[in-house]
Amino acid sequence: MIPSDLSAELIRRQLPCGGWSALAASAQAALEPTCYSVLALGSQATDVRDRGYSFLVHAQNPNGSWPAFAGDDHDGSWVTSLVAIALRDIVPSIPARLKGLHWLLSSAGKEGNWLWKWKFRTADRHVRFDPDKFGWPWFPDTVSWVVPTAFAALALNQLPCSCGGFDLAQSRVDRGVQMLIDRACPGGGWNAGNGVVYGAAVAPHPDDTAIALLALCDRQQEPVVQASLNYLERTAPALTAPWSLAWAILAFAAHGRPTALLRGSLLTFPDLSYLEDTSTLALVCLALDHEHASTKLGVTI
Amino acid sequence: MSLTRRDLLIGSAALVGGASVSTPFFLPKYHFDQRPKRSRVAVLHADQYCQKLSQILWEGLRVFSINVRGKKVVLKPNLVDYLPGSAINTHPMLVVAAAEAFRRLEAKSVVVAEGPGHQRDTQLVLSRSGYQESLRGEKLRFIDLNRDELIRTPLRASYTGMKELWLPRTVLEADFLVSMPKIKTHHWSGVTLAMKNMFGIVPGARYGWPKNILHWKGIEESILDLCATVSVHFVIADGIIAMEGNGPLNGAPRLLERIVLADDPVAADATCARLMGFDPGRIAHIREGACFLGNAVPELIDQVGETVRPLATPFREVPEFVKLYAF
Repeated sequence: MIPSDLSAELIRRQLPCGGWSALAASAQAALEPTCYSVLALGSQATDVRDRGYSFLVHAQNPNGSWPAFAGDDHDGSWVTSLVAIALRDIVPSIPARLKGLHWLLSSAGKEGNWLWKWKFRTADRHVRFDPDKFGWPWFPDTVSWVVPTAFAALALNQLPCSCGGFDLAQSRVDRGVQMLIDRACPGGGWNAGNGVVYGAAVAPHPDDTAIALLALCDRQQEPVVQASLNYLERTAPALTAPWSLAWAILAFAAHGRPTALLRGSLLTFPDLSYLEDTSTLALVCLALDHEHASTKLGVTI
Repeated sequence: MSLTRRDLLIGSAALVGGASVSTPFFLPKYHFDQRPKRSRVAVLHADQYCQKLSQILWEGLRVFSINVRGKKVVLKPNLVDYLPGSAINTHPMLVVAAAEAFRRLEAKSVVVAEGPGHQRDTQLVLSRSGYQESLRGEKLRFIDLNRDELIRTPLRASYTGMKELWLPRTVLEADFLVSMPKIKTHHWSGVTLAMKNMFGIVPGARYGWPKNILHWKGIEESILDLCATVSVHFVIADGIIAMEGNGPLNGAPRLLERIVLADDPVAADATCARLMGFDPGRIAHIREGACFLGNAVPELIDQVGETVRPLATPFREVPEFVKLYAF
């Protein structure tokens, strides 16, 4: 159950264009907070959500991708996955969503190219990873990272079939999943990218771990997934920020782990409705409505 | 042998072609020479993070004729991630001491702004690193540069080949930008100091976590383009406990017991590099920055406070950067 003051604050923050800005004081609509906001708002705010959907559809780039914020360049960004997830049940936006998913299929981490693969195999060995296992970048022309790969896998997994030019979707998702497993930190969990840099194991981040776990909820038999869930269960009770805690709750819900205590902790954060970061406010709403949130995020339990 | 008209034409075409291909390599990649005639650096002794820092910093700042009266001051610390027991971030006590000093100098406003490079959860980094409590205690506002409003900004140098970047409004509208780096070694660029600290103004919401585009365009090149485009007006570098070895995240803490103040980021970085036992002329972005951004040679730097003495044991570097040692 979402406290009414939180959803009211989320509604209050909607900009006249229909989108939401990243920070409360800003007037620049951004795609990430808009996606979380339309996902978080329940059926009681239909008009607000409809304006949000309309903003998303109109913000699409000519190449099918979505930009990071209104007014951005047209080369596309990782939020294309998030928008595809947010628009999943919206019938009028099906063509826009399919165009976005086609763009997503054409996007790949730079290490997927043979030349860079060769470089990472021979000349650049400080970052330990298998360049055959690649996923999605934050933005074109860079390598794969954990969060955009996880969201792309979630978005593409929602395709009902491989018809309509999506015959490569499953193999791309499989490769992305392999990449996530390859880049995990040695003790479980995920950092932003690789688990080992310059011979040193890097520490996992709770939010990156939770987002990767959402994408891997059908791979529970993988030892990496179990180790990562254990890491997150050890870490989550002591989290001192609502963003990471909200993501952890969503991941546990998707993996069938208990969340009641953590939801209680989330509600004890002071001044949740004053959170400056709108994405965090929307995620808190999603986490408190975890029963519906997994479905909204495209997770099949 | 006589030259035919055809030979002359082919020769001229070859000359023009050759010149057009090679000229860009010889032309300077900066658009303006921003170097001051002379720069001023103060090296202050401080052996721990404590209340005394405010007084040490205040006395150090008085050496400079800083006029921030009525100006918007932005303090840009190095806040990357949090690992217990590590020396990754600029210490919050130094940031608070700086804010107090600029308020005392009658700044119109003082805000702390940063866009952590690795962690998307900025609030988690703030709370775990002690910033949240310190800033709240001093009623200091923090602005997450990863999510701030963005303005398309043409670059004022062309080392990366990028024409423009989207940069945060808070930084672009600052009257007085203070780079507050942690003095650290860096496994990709040798050192990370006042100039490299400017990577934090590049917004993650637009360029990702980490800001991977800057790595692909070249770290040194990106540092130069950023520093050419956004002026750093002052530097307060945290070297009380610095980092050596596999920085910027996994290095070991190194007691240096120094704070470095400077009115020129290149002079600050050159001085910090010397303090670490490195030759600044061997650090690519400092060497190139000295051509147009600031002064790196001691003859053009007015040194106040403590003198820069070579360390008995220089900072440890990863093998690729042992070439930086000043011996």
